Amino acid sequence: MINRAIKPASSDDVKFRLPQVEKFETKNGLQVYFVKRTQLPILRFNLILDAGSKSDPEGKKGMVNLFAMMLDEGAGEYNALQLNDEFDMLGSNFDISANNDNVFISLRTLKEHAERSLQLFSDVVTKPHFNEKAFAREKRKILTRLLQLKDDPDEIANIIFEKHIFEDNPYSYPVIGFEEDINRISIEDLKTFYRNTLTPNNCKLIIVGDSDKDYILSLLDKYFSDWQYNNSFSYTPPAVKKNPNKIFLVHKEGAVQTEIRIGHISGERNSPDYFSKLILNTILGGQFTSRINLNLREDKGYTYGAFSRFSYYKDASYYFVSTSVNAENTGNAVKEILKELEGIKDGVTSGELEFAKSSSIRKFPSNFETNRHIASNISALVIHSLPDNYFDNYLDNIRMVTIDDVNRSATNSISAEDALIVVVGDKKIIKSQLTDLSKEITELESTIF
Amino acid sequence: MDLLNIEYEKYTLKNGLDVILHQNDSLPIVSVNIWYKAGSSNEKKGKTGIAHLFEHMMFQGSQNVAKEEHFKFIQEAGGSLNGSTSFDRTNYYEKVPSNFLELILWLESDRMGFLLPAMTQEKLNNQKDVVTNERLERYDNQPYGMAWEKLIANIYPKNHPYSWPTIGFINDIASFTLDDVRNFFETYYSPANASLCIAGSFDRNKTEDMIDRYFGDIPGGKSVKLNVKNPEPIPDNIYLKHHENVQLERIYFAWRTDKGYSPDDASLDLLADILSGSKNARLYKNLVYEKEIAQDVTAYQYSGKYAGHFIIIVTAKPGYSLDVIKSEIMNELEKVCTGPIDSLELQRSKNGIKSGFIYSMQNMDTIADQLNFYNFTLNNPNSFNADLQRYESVTENDIKRVVGKYLMNNYVELRILPNEKQG
Repeated sequence: MINRAIKPASSDDVKFRLPQVEKFETKNGLQVYFVKRTQLPILRFNLILDAGSKSDPEGKKGMVNLFAMMLDEGAGEYNALQLNDEFDMLGSNFDISANNDNVFISLRTLKEHAERSLQLFSDVVTKPHFNEKAFAREKRKILTRLLQLKDDPDEIANIIFEKHIFEDNPYSYPVIGFEEDINRISIEDLKTFYRNTLTPNNCKLIIVGDSDKDYILSLLDKYFSDWQYNNSFSYTPPAVKKNPNKIFLVHKEGAVQTEIRIGHISGERNSPDYFSKLILNTILGGQFTSRINLNLREDKGYTYGAFSRFSYYKDASYYFVSTSVNAENTGNAVKEILKELEGIKDGVTSGELEFAKSSSIRKFPSNFETNRHIASNISALVIHSLPDNYFDNYLDNIRMVTIDDVNRSATNSISAEDALIVVVGDKKIIKSQLTDLSKEITELESTIF
Repeated sequence: MDLLNIEYEKYTLKNGLDVILHQNDSLPIVSVNIWYKAGSSNEKKGKTGIAHLFEHMMFQGSQNVAKEEHFKFIQEAGGSLNGSTSFDRTNYYEKVPSNFLELILWLESDRMGFLLPAMTQEKLNNQKDVVTNERLERYDNQPYGMAWEKLIANIYPKNHPYSWPTIGFINDIASFTLDDVRNFFETYYSPANASLCIAGSFDRNKTEDMIDRYFGDIPGGKSVKLNVKNPEPIPDNIYLKHHENVQLERIYFAWRTDKGYSPDDASLDLLADILSGSKNARLYKNLVYEKEIAQDVTAYQYSGKYAGHFIIIVTAKPGYSLDVIKSEIMNELEKVCTGPIDSLELQRSKNGIKSGFIYSMQNMDTIADQLNFYNFTLNNPNSFNADLQRYESVTENDIKRVVGKYLMNNYVELRILPNEKQG
């Protein structure tokens, strides 16, 4: 008979070997990161362009996103529908997306179709059509999408939060852009951006899967040979300013829930206190059993879930708490969150510290389970210019975090007083709940962007 | 295909618990996945949402595990965990480093065998609040969020167990007592009504021994068979309208089709892909790409244990009428029925499904859940190839036939319209 009252101990420590990354360059200077994995006959390619919506020109916000939507609307000898059909017939998934910092062009393919898929991929990168008719259509699609966003409280909260946390910074406007700006963008704008920006020297290619270096290199040299170097693109990030510590209330008529975002500007990704902030947030809001979720969900029952995170862009970052609560408890929830942000400054317990370190250390192998996981880990290195041995030192960096480090981070990196608060809900129910917070309230309509 | 021929061992403990083991040592992690053969179809009208609320209660601790410890122990071990409830079943799953497998077996067996001693009114009240918030966040406060429950209430006859939403109605959720929770546990949460799958890196002999020690002494209970008759056909077309705080009009069509693994369900999945799965899919290409009268198009077949339905959803571009969109949809369906289907068109959809099977083999949680699904549905966990073969063998005529057989019948039409502007 077992004694169920005793929690079983773990058996011997597991052995985990990090996937090995090979770095090399193609003839035209494209840097490639390759991880060989032969468990399954599949491959993933992620091309990362070091330019995102933050480089949208003034008055043309949304240009890079529109560029990403247009890039595969016809390329090489194929129109848009034919190109899509070629990928689909191979069972390959091809996708392009843009965010604030980057454009991502990604491909997932069976090994047997890797060469053909990569050839089509190269058509998109080196021979896009930028067809007028498709351009008009994609523009209309975005304008309609902008309308749809006005219905979605979660999206509204995210957009308004970033608008105010970054104020004049290029991170302050949404990747999708604005209606009047979209109308100003011309197809020539996209072509110019393409010529100056989507070049081997501005990109990094990450490949994970069942292949080998020589073969990959031969394919890349074969299909990307006429892709030309061009160094006319540059971007200088402006300094990041402090955010206003006000409340923005976005009115959504009849909303039964309130979306809440609370946070403030924080330090950059590759600063030395990254790991102590990671541990700090694991205790405060990063996991189910973190303080904020246990309080708001498991104790008070205000929400289905609440979390917090340090969110890192390339040139700026912020700390934020996110949740959705029933309208009646909006004020209570905001107060409890602010209380947690204050409370963490009194210090964490050694039990909390050990829990957070154990969780982060032991979870490490499962961060490398799929090709997508591995490619996305390497992407983080590329985007934030982290050292190549980052993952080799990752566990030691976590082990070294002390309780003093975490408490110092809590003091320096978390502040209820500095926090910007965005709430999206029905003002008739929620406004009166927010008046005793001694923060200035600005009311907005949900149709404002 | 060898790739999809998943080696496994299956056996049944004396108390009736099915055990499925699949070993894969490529990473030092292991997934544990348990299916209980109980979902919202085991509920009654007026008591909807208990299966899902019960899923929440399973995370509230058990006799030897305090509230919050279930999550804490697994996350401390570097694991991830969750559960989900559908019409037909509830699942619970964890992924941990291999050396913590015993911890998971302890936690899962403690809540399978010894949940009730730890159940309190306070925990129940708290989770009723949490689930109410879940419902408000995911349905009531979402644009078009109420469409789903309006549809199923009309696709299925009154009192059919698929006619209410798994999340439950607000008043029903509020009404549940500790006795309701206890009854649900005693009826459905027993080894004989469950299936345990472990996939990943583990020592087979030690694992079998641990399973025996942790689960072997839990009283068996019984496997619950639900007697659900095939629902009567939809008697007449049903037209519904609902005004909401949205910008764009949206139209839904729902037809009753057939249940999972019925002879037609693979054809219906492929039909959905042919209609909306890619840029070249018929409805997408016509409505979104060429005519630009719609912003998006979705089509899918839902195949449950007791019944199935086929749904088409189209959001109108501003200024375009749902009537025009409707007649385009009906024309396209007619064309599938009576016009040619290019063999490459069908092949494209089949290729996507086939590569999707292979890509999905990267994730241990997915494999474990799929083994349990096949065991639940076909009584054979290793059915990946057989499942794929169903799609491979569908012909152009099958696609035409299922449109004629199901989509030319009575349907439910739901229009979601923006609130009238005031003043």
